[in-house]
Amino acid sequence: MLGLARKTDRAVAGRFVHDSFPMGHRLRDRSPFAAPKRQVKIPIVIVGGGMAGLNAAWHLDKRGFRDFVLLEMEPEAGGNSRWGENEISRFPWAAHYVPVPAKGESLARELFEELGLFRDGKWDDRALCFAPQERLFIYGRWQEGIEPENATPQEIAQYRRFNDKMAEFRATGEFTIPMERGAKPSPLDGMSMSDWLERERFDSATLRWYVNYACRDDYGVLAKNTSAWAGIQYFASREPEEKGPLTWPEGNGWIARRLLEKLGRYVRTGSVVYRVRRDGARLHVLTEQAEYIAEAVIFAAPTFLAPYLIEGAPRADGFQYSPWLTANLTLDRMPREKGLDLAWDNVIYDSPTLGYVNATHMSLATHVERTVWTFYWSLAEHSPEDARRLLLSKDWNYWKEAILSDLERAHPDIRQCVARIDIMRLGHAMARPAPGFMFSENRERWTKPLGRIFFANSDLSGFSIFEEAQYRGVTAAKEALGVVGRS
Amino acid sequence: MSVALFLSVFLIAACGLIYELIAGTLASYLLGDSVFQFSTIIGCYLFAMGIGSYLSRFLRRGLVARFVSTELMVGLVGGFSSSLLFLAFAYTDAFRLVLYVVVILVGTLVGLEIPLLMRILKERFQFRELVSHVLTFDYLGALGASLLFPILLVPKLGLVRSALLFGILNAGVALWSTYLFRGQLGGGYGLRVGCLLVLGVLGGGMVFADRISSAADNSLYADEVIFSRDTRYQRIVLTKWKDDLRLFLSSHLQFSSRDEYRYHEALVHPGLAALPGARRVLVVGGGDGLAVREILKYPAVESVTLVDLDPEMTQLFSRHPVLSALNQHSLTAPRVHVINADAFRWLDSNADRFDFIVADFPDPTSYSLGKLFTTTFYRLAAKHLSSGGLLVVQSTSPLFARQSYWCIVETVKQAGLRTYPYHVYVPSFGEWGFVIGSLGPYEPPSQLPGGLRFLSARNVGEMFVFPVDMQPVEAEPNRLNNQILVRYYEQEWKDIAR
Repeated sequence: MLGLARKTDRAVAGRFVHDSFPMGHRLRDRSPFAAPKRQVKIPIVIVGGGMAGLNAAWHLDKRGFRDFVLLEMEPEAGGNSRWGENEISRFPWAAHYVPVPAKGESLARELFEELGLFRDGKWDDRALCFAPQERLFIYGRWQEGIEPENATPQEIAQYRRFNDKMAEFRATGEFTIPMERGAKPSPLDGMSMSDWLERERFDSATLRWYVNYACRDDYGVLAKNTSAWAGIQYFASREPEEKGPLTWPEGNGWIARRLLEKLGRYVRTGSVVYRVRRDGARLHVLTEQAEYIAEAVIFAAPTFLAPYLIEGAPRADGFQYSPWLTANLTLDRMPREKGLDLAWDNVIYDSPTLGYVNATHMSLATHVERTVWTFYWSLAEHSPEDARRLLLSKDWNYWKEAILSDLERAHPDIRQCVARIDIMRLGHAMARPAPGFMFSENRERWTKPLGRIFFANSDLSGFSIFEEAQYRGVTAAKEALGVVGRS
Repeated sequence: MSVALFLSVFLIAACGLIYELIAGTLASYLLGDSVFQFSTIIGCYLFAMGIGSYLSRFLRRGLVARFVSTELMVGLVGGFSSSLLFLAFAYTDAFRLVLYVVVILVGTLVGLEIPLLMRILKERFQFRELVSHVLTFDYLGALGASLLFPILLVPKLGLVRSALLFGILNAGVALWSTYLFRGQLGGGYGLRVGCLLVLGVLGGGMVFADRISSAADNSLYADEVIFSRDTRYQRIVLTKWKDDLRLFLSSHLQFSSRDEYRYHEALVHPGLAALPGARRVLVVGGGDGLAVREILKYPAVESVTLVDLDPEMTQLFSRHPVLSALNQHSLTAPRVHVINADAFRWLDSNADRFDFIVADFPDPTSYSLGKLFTTTFYRLAAKHLSSGGLLVVQSTSPLFARQSYWCIVETVKQAGLRTYPYHVYVPSFGEWGFVIGSLGPYEPPSQLPGGLRFLSARNVGEMFVFPVDMQPVEAEPNRLNNQILVRYYEQEWKDIAR
């Protein structure tokens, strides 16, 4: 009553959400599961309801093939494109944008056209990220764009040389989306992105920060642990015809939602596949609810799970994944800040985190008083194992404090604005394109089927982005249709 | 007698502390960094009191008269200290100089008070008692003041009036002293007149305190502020000078009552007079009701829907006697429906169609306002037009922000509408631009409603002619994903302001 207790900030509510590691650990430890209650004969089973699985289903359905199910272990499908919603806005839980597909990206364009995003040669202006798209907190204020301004002439020259280099790489035609279309084995895969920067004498501190940020943001890895080929792929693969990216309040959850509207009838959520048994030409897919007897399986779950689930599958050597932490912060008032207005993507220079995306950015409203920020942190400075241990060993309060302290640098009054912080911990969020992995035997063997099991996860491309997931999912679906005699 | 004496010690101690607190608080408000402000102000103040105490030795004769005049000076300087500081901040660059001069002046004068008083009283009390009592009441006064200041004075009276109130107390003590020490004073009529004069000046200050505190605001606006409020959405300020009433939204001039008829007649009539069949009209933005006033000049119009974000704005222009007289009570007219909503979202969430749509938004000074000038917005507005309907857009100045103006025209064109740009001279704005967007061909009207002060059928057509210095320039259309207009606009007004 006398106020002698420790002075406290405003109480922040929240908790960990969508924790998937207890089930993951049960699968890893091959813990016993209940026997299936019934048997179902069905030609094709899709394992995993992320973007790869959903796009496999999209392709099957589009080809008029309807005898299949999609098994998703979580209560909601969507994988890294899952989303949430509260009284203020929908918001993403992970993937939150797709760059405007270039002319050559026919699959992505086909889907987006079907979803009404591309009409009469024009991209939907309500889905193209509104301006200002990105801003960077540097030198005590927010600037537009995430390439640091106020650079010295030498630095500007380096930026220009860097961009020229990337244009050269683009012109080789080897850096494409999907990557398989153009990728050719390259010595660049043998070195790290930071070694390549070193070799090419890019020594500007802000340019290095920028490239490192890109690696952390897209792959969850520091530049020194990223294959130079993959690092260059990020900059050299895209040539958008329109200023994007495509984004929505719920991020790629919008795509998942629209796909689920079409395909929901095939989806069985809460179905944990704990064994895939091969029996001649037949495949037995075991869940506690049912045993599916299939002619083909599309394995769209992360590839590292395959050895734990598929009888007789080899080890998935070389596949590494970055753990991620994402948090959704509910703000019931807008924080004070200096410089450029709130953007869609907001990055703090020299922070270990990746900054945040504003969920109400794509609202048409001219006046926003409350919002949701999705905060991203790839824990890239640790090894994946250490980062996973850290992620699980610290409590919600620890991460809440870490997030608020990070944001406090740019928003001194953030603690007075945040009402709630929900945190999602993902142990194996994204594939890591470590040096040597892109053109390794380890990766390429999994792009080929194991009997009638067709692998489809985006990690087969070495990194996890929407377009790769879609390409892998559709490719596996085509192959599966071939073996069930419906191609 | 002795109680009265020590009560005056109590009061002068309280006054002294209040001035110090006011200086510290004001400096913290205006300059920030309260630790620094309070530390340096307390330091200077105590040091100045020391100077005063030292100087007191040089005052030898006529102690009571000296004491009374010291009190009066403290009352004057201290009483007007916060007014002086506010004005110094608003009008000069020398706020810090004025601040420390005031603090040192008040401190020195307050430093004189207690030594003088003790010397006056030394005949009446034993030294032991005197020191004990004077200091006891001195410290009690400080306690009283320090409690009163944050609890009552700042929240109830504000800084300007608190200072004046304590100035009056100082002058009151001075007047009272002329009676308490009349034996030692002898005569003293001159002093009493002085006391009354100071009391009068301070009392007058109390009466005009409101004007003093709004004078700081006034420095931003040329004329006197008659209304000022921060709403959830913007800062609404009204100023008045003689018969000229001006509205500012977040510091941007929206109209001057002297020439707003030019703006609003030009906004509404070229479009609406060309639509003799118009029944339903929509105004988005324009919460001042002045465009609606012009629309109501058409008896055939059956309904006018006004969508403005800020309920305080539409209420103000519905209820305020002067403002509702200006818009001829348009917002409370039976044909008019006022909706307080975000215009973009409102248009997006209903399917109503209108014969005439007026987009009267503030200039695109921010990315949020810029959204209301995009291809997406105009495409949406076009969907709400009945066949043959017209859209008119307030489009900033084609002279001062030429590229911004032609960017808006290009944007309306890109949204699939035919464009008919025109402009008008509004003295308080300068050359101002509009653009009519239509699905079919448009001809300027040959007939106008009666009672117009600016437009006539003869000069409507002239507005569509652009002189050489306002001719079209190349501009990209403003889209949600580039908001190029906000950049053009910022650059062009920056060039003007230079």
